[in-house]
Amino acid sequence: MREYFIDIFSGVGSVLVGMKVTFGHLFTRSVTEQYPREKIEMFDRSRNRLHVDIEDCIGCYLCDKACPVDCIHIDTIKARPGEDLGLTEKFEKKKTFVFPKFDIDMAECCYCGLCVFPCPTECIYWISDYEFAEYDRSNLNYHFGNVTPEDARVRYEEAEKLKIEKDKEIALKKTASAATKPAAPKDDSKESTD
Amino acid sequence: MDYFIQIVTDLLPGLDGLPVWLVIPSIMFMFGALIFTGISIYSLIILWFERKIAAHMQDRLGPMEVGGWHGWLQTVADAVKLLLKEDIIPAVADRKLFKLAPYIVFLAAFSVFAVLPFSDKIVGSELNIGIFYILAVSSIGVVGILMAGWASNNKWALFGSMRSVAQLVSYEIPIGLSILVVVMSVGSLSMRDIVMAQDGGIFNWMIWQNAPFNFIAFLILFIAGTAETNRVPFDIPEAESELVAGFHVEYSGMRFSIFFLAEYANMLAVGIIASTLFLGGWQGITGASSAPGIGLIWMLLKGFLIVLVMIWFRWTLPRLRVDQLMYVCWKVLVPISFINMVGAGIWIGLSS
Amino acid sequence: MESFVFYIFAFMVVAGGWVVIYSNNLIYSAFSLLFTFVGLAGLYGLLMADFIAATQILIYAGGVLILLLFGIMLTARKTSIEITQSNLPRLPGAIISSLIFLLLMVVIFSEPNWNSATNPGVKETVPVIGKLLMTKYLIPFELASILLLAALIGSVFIARREDS
Repeated sequence: MREYFIDIFSGVGSVLVGMKVTFGHLFTRSVTEQYPREKIEMFDRSRNRLHVDIEDCIGCYLCDKACPVDCIHIDTIKARPGEDLGLTEKFEKKKTFVFPKFDIDMAECCYCGLCVFPCPTECIYWISDYEFAEYDRSNLNYHFGNVTPEDARVRYEEAEKLKIEKDKEIALKKTASAATKPAAPKDDSKESTD
Repeated sequence: MDYFIQIVTDLLPGLDGLPVWLVIPSIMFMFGALIFTGISIYSLIILWFERKIAAHMQDRLGPMEVGGWHGWLQTVADAVKLLLKEDIIPAVADRKLFKLAPYIVFLAAFSVFAVLPFSDKIVGSELNIGIFYILAVSSIGVVGILMAGWASNNKWALFGSMRSVAQLVSYEIPIGLSILVVVMSVGSLSMRDIVMAQDGGIFNWMIWQNAPFNFIAFLILFIAGTAETNRVPFDIPEAESELVAGFHVEYSGMRFSIFFLAEYANMLAVGIIASTLFLGGWQGITGASSAPGIGLIWMLLKGFLIVLVMIWFRWTLPRLRVDQLMYVCWKVLVPISFINMVGAGIWIGLSS
Repeated sequence: MESFVFYIFAFMVVAGGWVVIYSNNLIYSAFSLLFTFVGLAGLYGLLMADFIAATQILIYAGGVLILLLFGIMLTARKTSIEITQSNLPRLPGAIISSLIFLLLMVVIFSEPNWNSATNPGVKETVPVIGKLLMTKYLIPFELASILLLAALIGSVFIARREDS
């Protein structure tokens, strides 16, 4: 009997305590962010979307090889001889390659960040853009290549021609050297043709 | 009602030519439509309030977009959405009962308003058994709930309706007993007499009379009224985590909104009944005012206040278990209200 | 207007009773009792017996009907219980009920001094009923309550017997 009344009084008391707490929270500042209107700063090491500074890229394929889900697709063409490709982010002279294709498919990406670490020029990194929802899945494939497809075709053909010319040159040199020095440098020439 | 008839006949002088049997029912119909509109608008407002209060109690903001200022049009948009939604009847449901049930539930909630005194003159009907009529009519809703649960042919709906009915039938007893305390001290069942007995300012209100007994009766009425309207912490008929939504799981669109409206109408009814019985009805803090609109404003204010406390309850307390619910009713509220009634009777007998 | 309302309530009572008897579905029978009860309450109300009307709804629609429905729903295995009553004793039933009807008619029309019930002159019925229950009909009232108490104790006893 005594417990019964104690239960009732403690029940009523705890209800009052709870109501006091909720009444207090009625006037505390709410923590809601009005998302589309106001956006919070993303944290330093958050992984949202990959970005490539293609000017810095040296076409080493390390990120491609590191990717566990193969969502990075790279294609490179050697630059024209003597072509000025502009400056890098660090105001150095751009080297060697143009990129008809440097695609990162964010739909496939598993956000592991393994591609970021091996990059020797630190040109692939996370940016804090997290709003990249799309209606079409193919729109999630981000293109970072710096050459248009038409230009790329021309460059492929040029590179092909250049290669043929170079092969011819090498063949010429080989025959010439074979004529002058018959025995010793034969191994060298074999290596170069390989 | 007489006052309303007088207003309408003043406004529409052409009515005098028509026969009485046509005029009186049509004016009654107009009064009903007016109350229906009032209940609908009130539900929209109180629903917005509930969502905002719930949000702020949980340190959120709640609806903020629709309508500009703090989402004040959100519930209107929701109501429009509900009306436009597809009305689905399950294939194996009992179609006739399924269609009939929401109307019976709403009928019970709505016919309570016929005797609620909104002010000195705005009353549907001044029955001299007013409060007893309210008790009787609100028990019809139980049948509608049982009908809904059965007709849905869904085990959760059936469980929900069973629980709901068990709860409503049980909690009617403490409500009746705590109403009896007031009826004993006034000596009448009529709502008008009860309000008139509390004339003359805040200290003559029923809640302060008969030493502790009326106050305890008020608390019991409030707790049991919360249970009657299936509100948290007594919402096991609709317990989301166990029963999805209780007896109205299978209802959608318009029929669901009728259930919803009935729940909020019941809340307002409980608020108005409690404030009529204990808080002086349409009389203000300093006593009754002669202006016609003031009484209505006081009444709605008191009703709203009680509804707001019910909302506060809801967002504070966790849900009771089934057996705890029955424990609270049969082992706590019923004995206390019995003792309270006997004590009040002795007090009234001694003091008179 | 009063007779119009009377016919509405009378129709509710008769139609409800008809469904109760002739429906094949037990649930329909039980639910249609609601209309019978509400219609009866309306008839009481028309006779100025407002307290009886409200009591009718409170006790029958809110209590008895609910118990009935609980009984059906908790004992039924299937979702709908079909009852086909093949041996309806129509002819004897018709004879007996028409005889009772005739008897009632004879009694009603042979008694000339019926009070008009439309305006009994009593505004508040509740105090009168209360006084009568506490004075003239005290013993029947108490007997009824003792009967109910006995039924309550008996049902608890039957329900609890398995425990011991």
